[in-house]
Amino acid sequence: MDLRFTEAQEILRKAARDFLTTECPKTLVRELEKSEKGYSPELWKKIAELGWTSLVIPEQYEGIGYTFQDLTVLLEEVGRNILPGPLIPTVISTFSIVEGGTEEQKKEFLPKIASGDLILTLALIEAEGTFDASGIALKATAKGEDFVLNGTKLFVEMARVSNYMVCVAQTKEGTTDKGITLFLVDTKSPGIQIEVIPTIAADKLCEVRFENVTVPKKNMLGKLDAGWTLVESMMRKGSVARSVEAVGAMQTCIDMTVAYLKERVQYERPIGAFQALQHLMANMWTSMQTARYLVYQAAWMESEGQPAAKEVSLAKAYINEAYKDVAQWAIRLHGGIATSSDHDIPLYYRRSLAASTSFGGTDFHRELVAEKIGLK
Amino acid sequence: MDFELTPEEKAHRKEYFDFCKELEKKRPASSVGLEAVFEVDECWDFHLYCAKEFAKKGWLALAWPPEYGGSGTMMDKVLFAEARGYHGIYGVDIFGIQMLAPTLLQAASDPIKKEFLPPIAKGEVMWCELWSEPNAGSDLATLSTTAIKKGDEYIINGQKTWNTAAHRADWGFGVFKTDPAGRKHHNMTFLLLDMKTPGVTVRPIPYIDGDAPYAEVYFDDVHVPAKNVVGQENEGWAIVNLLAGFERSGMNEIMSMYRELEELVEFCNTTKRNGKPLSKDPLVRNRVAELACDLEAAKAIAYRIADLQNRNEMALMDAAAAKIFYSELGKRFSFVATDIAGPFGQVKRSRWAPVHGTWEKGFQECFVTIISMGTNEIQRNIIAWYGLGLPRMK
Repeated sequence: MDLRFTEAQEILRKAARDFLTTECPKTLVRELEKSEKGYSPELWKKIAELGWTSLVIPEQYEGIGYTFQDLTVLLEEVGRNILPGPLIPTVISTFSIVEGGTEEQKKEFLPKIASGDLILTLALIEAEGTFDASGIALKATAKGEDFVLNGTKLFVEMARVSNYMVCVAQTKEGTTDKGITLFLVDTKSPGIQIEVIPTIAADKLCEVRFENVTVPKKNMLGKLDAGWTLVESMMRKGSVARSVEAVGAMQTCIDMTVAYLKERVQYERPIGAFQALQHLMANMWTSMQTARYLVYQAAWMESEGQPAAKEVSLAKAYINEAYKDVAQWAIRLHGGIATSSDHDIPLYYRRSLAASTSFGGTDFHRELVAEKIGLK
Repeated sequence: MDFELTPEEKAHRKEYFDFCKELEKKRPASSVGLEAVFEVDECWDFHLYCAKEFAKKGWLALAWPPEYGGSGTMMDKVLFAEARGYHGIYGVDIFGIQMLAPTLLQAASDPIKKEFLPPIAKGEVMWCELWSEPNAGSDLATLSTTAIKKGDEYIINGQKTWNTAAHRADWGFGVFKTDPAGRKHHNMTFLLLDMKTPGVTVRPIPYIDGDAPYAEVYFDDVHVPAKNVVGQENEGWAIVNLLAGFERSGMNEIMSMYRELEELVEFCNTTKRNGKPLSKDPLVRNRVAELACDLEAAKAIAYRIADLQNRNEMALMDAAAAKIFYSELGKRFSFVATDIAGPFGQVKRSRWAPVHGTWEKGFQECFVTIISMGTNEIQRNIIAWYGLGLPRMK
């Protein structure tokens, strides 16, 4: 056991932190929230040049071939700073190609993703709002050399600016996880309509309507009717990604609040001298630090290819609540000032709700935990 | 970053678990909760028996230097705690082995080490801690029990209290005022004393539940050899702080809760309410799963501490956070489990008690970890002052 970051991870962390501090100030974050696209193509290009989009793509497909754990080290910094854009949807859905794609698909898609020329996202959730296979109603019907897709996907992150979507479809009626197939769908395909849903983090989650959308059979990802295991893998990795992001965000909330408690003077002393506030601060730190090692453990297991479903859900359920709680205390300890949208803390507070719903809310993951610990 | 244990550590862990599993078969049925060892005679006897068994294996001296019979690493020590916690086995004197021994190894003179460490490693001498006084709790440095030097002895007069195991222990370590006129933090000395010394009176104190895990200790002209000083005279505060750092790992308590969680799951699977097992009730599932999440978080940070300690790095802030977290989880656990059990949650060990009355006991026992070893409010001060750099209370 050695719970320190490796030297390479330390370098990655430092580089990411420095880069984001200079290149993605909060003024840009606010601009992007208000913008139509929700991301900066210039910044995306720089990110790709730094190797962030190619980090976990194998070397033979022009990637860097780092581990999933390395990716989470980067994403903690992303969470610490905030980086609006399609990084997480792209890297997480890329895993379905790495793990389930044919050689042709890998050759076609991975180098483009690595170079930043192809933005990818995951089209999973539907009107039921659930994260299990029973919620998948979008139908894919075989027709000659194609499949025809009909249905509606919701909360598809950055769909508007994505080139392709990994679309989770039902291919066998009356079944749940045994009748799910994944398709790589060109976002510009005829019959697709995309509309941004106004959400709390302005993170451009979209409604995507599929009306007789034709997808060539060669774009089927993985085996017919057997796509759910790929979804589960993305769910695990996405949950970990959102959780490490949350840990980074909690760290910023805490750093900013501690700094404020030291500088803000009331009753002739810095308010950080009051134990009422010190103990709240200690609670926030305790929440963050327990969350941190909980998700580090899950990230390590997933990265090592160990069965990690239980540990991932334990972490996601815990961190969903921890992040919201730490962020709301950060606002409260700042007093009135952090209730203004001009302040940076609300950027994190709003994202805490977005993060907790992404890849499964608290009750969803607690139910998975309940199963895994043996509740019949 | 790597959570994997080495092959040796895995082998050791298995050995600890196998051994403790066997010992569990001999554990008295009266052993319910974490404090039964001090409360029930047959549990104390079982503790002494386990200590001897562990001593034969050399496991009481894990992470000690070889010259004092030590072997293994800090990580081994943590893995051993896991096994004992999970199987509800004592045998490791929390005061002698967890607190005093590492303190002596770091701060005591060679003669003290040579005299006191071997009996600890052999499981022959059991210790208690003599710190708190009626008027000196969290603000321990205001203590007033005196140890006045006279020739080659100290004469102790005064009273200590909340001394867990004092009515069982052979020896005690404590801190006493040796220079009543001296300034705070430089007027007390850390002493080791035989609890059978004339003038020592031990009175067990009934805890909330009526059992007595702790006692108050009165000193009436108690003569202690001057050679029994650890560290420098009048500089006992430094030893107190050093020892306090060895108190909080929590792995034992955490693994004990793991076992309780398994028992709770089994209880829910096999207990019907409204015609169906409790385990089918979504609210019950949600509450139990939440406990599982918290427990895993507690374990993850305990490994973080173990990893730091294994490299001889400071774990002050993490240890404070871990102690707050696992102790308050203990409270939540007992609240949830007793509530799920309905009217049976209140039943003491008897025919109608679910899981031998563990949860009823836990409901009352939870304050032990919350208050002792530095209350959780003191732990929050530690995080705020030493960790986050907020201004210290004057």
